[in-house]
Amino acid sequence: MSKEKRIIKILRYDPANDKKPHWVDYTGEFDSDSTILDVLNDIHWKTDGSLAYRRSCRSGICGSCAMKVNGQNILACETPIHKFKGKIKIEPLPGFAIIKDLVVDMDLFFEKLKKVKPYLVVDKPLPDKEFTQSPEEFEYIRESVTCILCGACTSSCPSLWGNEDYLGPAALLKAYRFIFDTRDDGANERMDIVNDKNGIWRCHTIFNCMEACPKDIKITEYLSRLKVKIVENSI
Amino acid sequence: MDKNFKETSRSGGIIWLFQRVSAVILFVLLMAHYVTYHFIGHGIVKYVDVIEKMKAPWFNLVQFLFLFTALYHGINGIWMVAEDYMKKKGTRIFVFSILVMLGAILMFVGMLTIFKAGAKL
Ligand code: SF4
Ligand code: FES
Repeated sequence: MSKEKRIIKILRYDPANDKKPHWVDYTGEFDSDSTILDVLNDIHWKTDGSLAYRRSCRSGICGSCAMKVNGQNILACETPIHKFKGKIKIEPLPGFAIIKDLVVDMDLFFEKLKKVKPYLVVDKPLPDKEFTQSPEEFEYIRESVTCILCGACTSSCPSLWGNEDYLGPAALLKAYRFIFDTRDDGANERMDIVNDKNGIWRCHTIFNCMEACPKDIKITEYLSRLKVKIVENSI
Repeated sequence: MDKNFKETSRSGGIIWLFQRVSAVILFVLLMAHYVTYHFIGHGIVKYVDVIEKMKAPWFNLVQFLFLFTALYHGINGIWMVAEDYMKKKGTRIFVFSILVMLGAILMFVGMLTIFKAGAKL
């Protein structure tokens, strides 16, 4: 496999020493199908051990490695460098506070997720065996259950940039996932939580979340379904 | 950290619904506008043609509906987006009042045009 020389620009920030984030250039030879994570590992292991970034599964499952590369929110572990021409500019996810380099503060993100009760709420007696759904019933939530909570969608949302209290697409999608789950009994409570000035009505169908989602979830479409359901319920 | 993200119990659902409904009405009225102005008759719209049409009450009623829906849709749209950026109650009331006043003034000017222009001739 051919190696090619690439210039990597990384937005670095160390709160102990830097006033604000600044770009640092690295040059290296990489296989064209190396991922962004391979590149970061290479820099971290061979050139600059102080570079901070998150990763765990390196196979697109844990959702730790979301970051912004050449203006796009992506998962570093499943995005090959040949997708990007010229210089590769790596930044932390926008819209979140930076802890160090590419590591952002996700506390608020998970706090918002908790608000929508991201678990099955069941009032009826549980069945003796499995709690089944028909394939048609499952179809409603099939895509939304694949969310890996990477935060790429919420971070890409201009409504969140303008108002950090907005629940954001990931939390709202999780609300959708349970509200439209036929086994769940917590729909009314959840709809009450998201039917708020900082909830679903801050979504202006901008579609950034859908473009950013590495799992290709049609987030905007599901949030629109949720809006319709809330309005139908309140009329 | 336990933050209550619930800002107000007021729902944004109704203004969201009205924005969609007014968009559909606007689309129908816009099509009606194009058809009556540009496709019925000889195609070239002259000042006298418009004034002539404005003498008919049904035409003015449609124009009035058009004006009202367009203003509602536009001003409601600005308000929905402006709400993203306003946290303080005072700012919200101020901006809301400005938008309502702006809507009222434009509505008044529009109504003058619709109902006076046809009547004068
Ligand atoms: S919806 Fe997509 S972008 Fe958003 S958190 Fe889930 S996987 Fe990530
Ligand atoms: S390292 Fe787990 S998703 Fe990338």
